[in-house]
Amino acid sequence: MTNKKIKYNPISPEVLEIAEEHHHTSEAVLEVLKELQDRHGVLSRETITDTARALDLPANRAFGMATFYSMLSLEERRNILRVCDGPVCWLKKAGVADWKEKAAPGWTVERTSCLGLCDHAPAVLVNDEQAGPVTTDEAQKVCEGWRGVPTEYSQVRKGETRVMTALIGKIDPDSIEDALANGVYDGLKSALQKTPQQVYEEVEASGLQGRGGAGFPVGRKWKFVASEKRTPRYIVCNADESEPLIFKDRVLIDTNPHQLLEGITIGGYACGASDAWIYIRGEYEYQARRLERAIEQVEAKNLLGKNILGTSFSFNIHVHRGAGAYICGEETALLESLEGKRGEPRLRPPYPPTYGFRGQPTAVNNVESFCAVPHIVKNGAEWWRNLTDDPTPGTKVYMILGQVNKPGLFEAPFGLTLRQVIEEFGGGMIPGSTFNFALCGGAAGTIVPPALMDSHIDYSSGPLKGVTRDIKAMEKRWTQVISMGAGAFLICDQNVSPVAFLRELLHFFAAESCGKCTPCRVGTWHSLEILDRMAEGKGVKGDTEELKMLAALMQDSSFCGLGQSVAIPMKSALAHFGAEFAKAETAEALPVLR
Amino acid sequence: MAGLAASFGSGAMSNSMDDVAKNAKAFFIIGSNTTEQHPVFGTMLRRAVRFRGAKLVVADPRKIDITEFATLHLRQKPGTDIALINGLMYIILEKDWADKQFIEERTEGLEEFKATVMQYPPTLVSEITGVPVSQLYEAAEIIARNKPTAVIWAMGITQHISGVRNVMDLANLQMLLGNMGVPGGGVNPLRGQNNVQGACDMGGLPNVYPSYQPVTSEEARKKFDDAWGLTSSTKVGLTATEIIPGILEDKIHALYILGEDPVMSDPDTHHIRKCLEAIDFLVLQEIFPSETAAYADVLLPGVSFAEKTGTFTNTERRVQMVHKAIEPLGDSRPDWWITAEVAKRVLIGTNNRVPREAPFSGWEYRDTNEIMSEINAVTPSYGGITHQRLEKGERLQWPCPSADHPGTPVLHTKQFTRGKGKFAPIDHVPPAEEPTDDYPMVLSTGRVLYHWHGGQMTRRAKGLMEVYGEALVELSPNDAEKLGVNGKGIVRVTSRRGSIEAQAWVTDRVPPGMVYANFHFPEASANELTLAALDPVSKIPEYKVAAVKVELVG
Amino acid sequence: MTINIIINGKKIEAQAGQTILQAAKEHDLHIPTLCYHKDLSPTGNCRMCVVEVKGGRFLQAACVTPVWEGMDIQTDSEKVVKDRRLTLQLMLANHTANCACCDVSNECELQELVYEYQAETPAWGTKGTRYKVDSDPNPFIHVDMNKCILCRRCVQACAEIQVRDVWGVAYRGFQEQIVAGAGTTLLEARCESCGQCVAYCPTGALSTKINYGQGMARAHQVTKVTTTCSYCGVGCQFDLVVKRGKVIGVASNPNSPVNGMALCVKGRFGYDYIHHPDRLTKPKVRRYLLEGGEKLKTNRKSEIANPKLEWVETDWDTALNITAKKLGEARDYFGSDSIGILTSAKCLNEENYLMNKLARQVIGTNNIDHCARL
Repeated sequence: MTNKKIKYNPISPEVLEIAEEHHHTSEAVLEVLKELQDRHGVLSRETITDTARALDLPANRAFGMATFYSMLSLEERRNILRVCDGPVCWLKKAGVADWKEKAAPGWTVERTSCLGLCDHAPAVLVNDEQAGPVTTDEAQKVCEGWRGVPTEYSQVRKGETRVMTALIGKIDPDSIEDALANGVYDGLKSALQKTPQQVYEEVEASGLQGRGGAGFPVGRKWKFVASEKRTPRYIVCNADESEPLIFKDRVLIDTNPHQLLEGITIGGYACGASDAWIYIRGEYEYQARRLERAIEQVEAKNLLGKNILGTSFSFNIHVHRGAGAYICGEETALLESLEGKRGEPRLRPPYPPTYGFRGQPTAVNNVESFCAVPHIVKNGAEWWRNLTDDPTPGTKVYMILGQVNKPGLFEAPFGLTLRQVIEEFGGGMIPGSTFNFALCGGAAGTIVPPALMDSHIDYSSGPLKGVTRDIKAMEKRWTQVISMGAGAFLICDQNVSPVAFLRELLHFFAAESCGKCTPCRVGTWHSLEILDRMAEGKGVKGDTEELKMLAALMQDSSFCGLGQSVAIPMKSALAHFGAEFAKAETAEALPVLR
Repeated sequence: MAGLAASFGSGAMSNSMDDVAKNAKAFFIIGSNTTEQHPVFGTMLRRAVRFRGAKLVVADPRKIDITEFATLHLRQKPGTDIALINGLMYIILEKDWADKQFIEERTEGLEEFKATVMQYPPTLVSEITGVPVSQLYEAAEIIARNKPTAVIWAMGITQHISGVRNVMDLANLQMLLGNMGVPGGGVNPLRGQNNVQGACDMGGLPNVYPSYQPVTSEEARKKFDDAWGLTSSTKVGLTATEIIPGILEDKIHALYILGEDPVMSDPDTHHIRKCLEAIDFLVLQEIFPSETAAYADVLLPGVSFAEKTGTFTNTERRVQMVHKAIEPLGDSRPDWWITAEVAKRVLIGTNNRVPREAPFSGWEYRDTNEIMSEINAVTPSYGGITHQRLEKGERLQWPCPSADHPGTPVLHTKQFTRGKGKFAPIDHVPPAEEPTDDYPMVLSTGRVLYHWHGGQMTRRAKGLMEVYGEALVELSPNDAEKLGVNGKGIVRVTSRRGSIEAQAWVTDRVPPGMVYANFHFPEASANELTLAALDPVSKIPEYKVAAVKVELVG
Repeated sequence: MTINIIINGKKIEAQAGQTILQAAKEHDLHIPTLCYHKDLSPTGNCRMCVVEVKGGRFLQAACVTPVWEGMDIQTDSEKVVKDRRLTLQLMLANHTANCACCDVSNECELQELVYEYQAETPAWGTKGTRYKVDSDPNPFIHVDMNKCILCRRCVQACAEIQVRDVWGVAYRGFQEQIVAGAGTTLLEARCESCGQCVAYCPTGALSTKINYGQGMARAHQVTKVTTTCSYCGVGCQFDLVVKRGKVIGVASNPNSPVNGMALCVKGRFGYDYIHHPDRLTKPKVRRYLLEGGEKLKTNRKSEIANPKLEWVETDWDTALNITAKKLGEARDYFGSDSIGILTSAKCLNEENYLMNKLARQVIGTNNIDHCARL
């Protein structure tokens, strides 16, 4: 390249060495950048350019990565405290500003979108260690090593049906012996007795629906992948649990990693896949290491690797860490990220079963979906269906959070009502609190008023199911439906303003929008702008109307599910709490900060 | 072109750029810095590699930009192309990858040729070229096993004393592989100047009339005599590289130069200057006071391409319109008008040579359209190429003999111009000048992306000067360290003919032991250093190899 | 395979595998686009081309959605128009609203759509100048990211046409921006200054720097003349943009047979030599030719000191007559082969033909050549 700005400048030996470890594949760009970030606490433009050169990538690709993922930084930050800025922690009055004031000298404090530690709220990430609940009063202690009190899940709540959570507290999650002794891997053994077709047919017959939120039938997806002629085929486990309110996958991994590995391996067998990647969010470093330990153990037992248990089936599982991006939970964005690109959703069709990781047929499923599989294979589709009378078969791991007496996690069949969730499983509202609204499903779920306390919640009745273009009918629906989503409920009392609460959600979405399409990129940001002023008592006439228009635009015109689903909390909040929003528009409105 | 004429009977790019970029399964680029010298074609090749998965073998001593896209980059020593090509053909024959049917049906001379190629076993070739044996095998496999492979070259092949033979050897390679006359294959010499193809087509050569009708042919001579009412002898004239030295030999007394700058573009500048100083009369028709203008007696202001209408012919024989966008600046005039005026006035001035009455004896042209009509009449390959057709949007590549002919995108599809393609046994000849103790390094020369040839146009483009504003000598990091050039520094490059001083540009583009310089800047033009060793047939100088020494100045 | 679809109530035939946009275009049905360009792979980023598909949950981007048998499409329903207008307004949130001073005004695709949809800049926009105007020192390319709508056509043009990968997308959400390399200058990011990004940019975010402010795109002020490039042998075509008798720029002409929209740095930006003050605009002869006397064959350096060798501007007649006389004399005295003719690979075919005719007919020599060898 003959232009005088280009000086001869060999790639730094350090970068070359790390790139070498990753065989100079461009897919490894995120890992290489993370490694360099960890070593130096910062990514300089020179380092980024060298990384790109070492991996045979254009510099802009590496820079695009470095600026996309929140765990990578162009500014030096050693000893970093990432303070969770999710809605649950917000309810617990966690504040970045406070932390900045109170953290020990030498620490960098930074806001981060939800850490997936909602059960530990308020939570922070201390370098790569999870901590919570910890308050700013404990800031010094946190800097010195205090990580909060671990949450206990072994207590079975009344009314629970534990399948996937059955071994919580009963086994040492780091012990393969414990797992084997308790029947983990029996499902795999029984699957290997069957043909792959029998396995996916069994799963299809069970009616197991994907637990990531969209509810697509797992068995059918596997059938699509298995019937693709092209090889290799891949399995990808979506463990990028980044949506506020959702932490079940973390608990499932933490309490019984082998169950997940078993489910993935069964999936691999059914699909005729050669390899699987668990894409786990970067903030779950602890869980990633746990999975890596578990993989080593099973490989030693020949339950993974070459010719599993003497069969002709060979299969490997790899752990791939994300680096901070909610959008990577969207399956095609996840695949992009896995390929070493910015986590931006792909055009669909083609869908991952035909064109997935590296363009090969790929089954992408959620952690919980995989965790259910061994039980179905072991006990049969019939058994799974019989766990409930609800149209959606089987059990679900639910999360309950907010102003209830017993927040946490429980497993139960589908078809619960909000009242049941609060009263029966959540131990009722905390003293002094009355139910005002709940955010159901996840951050991209519905905001539900008391009027819908007794509605039935499952995958057959989500807010976007069977949506028609009949505008009147649609508007009416917003007053009726409740999201199942990933199965989370955040319960808010009379002191929580829906306006301020919605602002918090938009704060999250605006921070996490990937920026690819106009409606979501600018729509989330502008909605936040409006909600910010409304929450500060500075709303102006027409704000509600503008929010409605933005919600409609994002839902109808966004590129992917993220943008489309931002409208769900917006529309439901506006439908149910129109009066509060109207009030926030008037001149005499007072600040509605929590 | 002479090389291809010997092998096939006519010399020009056999395929179209678009065809090659779309249909070739593999490319073999040798001696073409495509992305810098033919940038837009370079991007077409990049696209073929990136999006179509075409394979690319680049043979070039320098790590030129296109090597980034190469499946394999062979870094042969400068001036060892024949050995390299023969070595590849040895492997092709050894592995039985030759296209027997094509050879049988369309070529002759295989056996004699084979005997020569068999003198080039990989180990020997590796020794001569410096290319590892394994890479020779890999390259041969890519070129032979992906069909069709297009061979692409430019001045890196022709500007050697063995230039014509280099070309003939590449023709051998393509015949051996049966890649001639098919879409996506062929021999594809990229022409440098915008209208070098047209200048050749129009008889701007000492040995041929328009459309390559040989001056030595009495038939051709008669044809033009009939058309013009008078013409020249059947004796081949002098080439540019002979005309100027011919001044000191008392052969040449007057020169009429149209838009050329030999002081910048010819080898051994020092000698060129001495010659031009001795000329009796030099008329230069130019748009800028070029380096050559200092030696002129009359300067006639021509116009740029923006000020006249007519046609250019590109490297793939495509004839395209040039349209006048602005009026000639000041009192400048279109070049065709000036030439016609000179001709008319010479004819009026003496009674020595008076053309007979003939269809095209006169010099009255109202516009270039009228000139084109005359071209149509006397130039078979341009017979059907008219301004009218081009203006209608027709896309014409010659040969296009008649008004209803659609033009010819691929040459040699059914048979070669000379009938059968001729395999020619070609032996390696070392370059005219090789490194010695006194001149231990090899100099290669050429152009850079941001400048054009002698630089008369590009040195007057502000932005281009901002990006590349002075001569840079490419020096390998290895040699830079030896010379104590620490990132930046002025070096003096000296050959037996002259010496230049220029900023060193340290880059791993050049291998150790080699320097690369351009001839865009008069204050440090590489042609002060180059030698006028000519290919015996084409009379092309060996710009690509000269022995030099390099010193740090400051 | 032919399939049947319905667009705006009208039954039309489409080919399986076509997108809605392609099918509509074939039937002259207009769907607005911004990020889409026929030369680039469709991305579906901007969402201008959304249409309503009966039975669909959401609006579909016509540029990327394949047609299927029986598909029933509304391209301009109330909902669609409303969404497009709002999308345009969201784009304007990051766009300086100063069309009057913008170089590409009248040729700006955003401006056209904003007008068509009457999408007024909302009270809450624009965000003014978030980025530095003229932020890159590249001598050819004027960068003003305040006008960027993040359609990414520049990124694609660089990757898919030029295959250089200089431009990229960095940051995310509302902070997303187009950057060169690792957030460096274009030249540091190995830009070849081909200007493909400028040619494909639908707004004034990327424009030509060398004539910045001259209003390249005001159709009523400029004429465009299609011609062939004068640099290398590839033979690219383009339009010379002429304003008041002066070439002020080069614009891609998509109908160019060899190159389409693509050009290189010299072709697109190396045209300012045309009006360079060094241009020879008057015939000149050495003084001795006017005053008589012999030519002093002397060293070039002493030329200035020798008044006989001074250049004198003359009229054409004088210069041409001297030339003809000298050539004629040389021919008649030393013989035809004492004259050498160097014709030009930069000149027209017609001109080269005349030089060949001059050499062979008038002079009577085959001593004609040009720089094909050099």
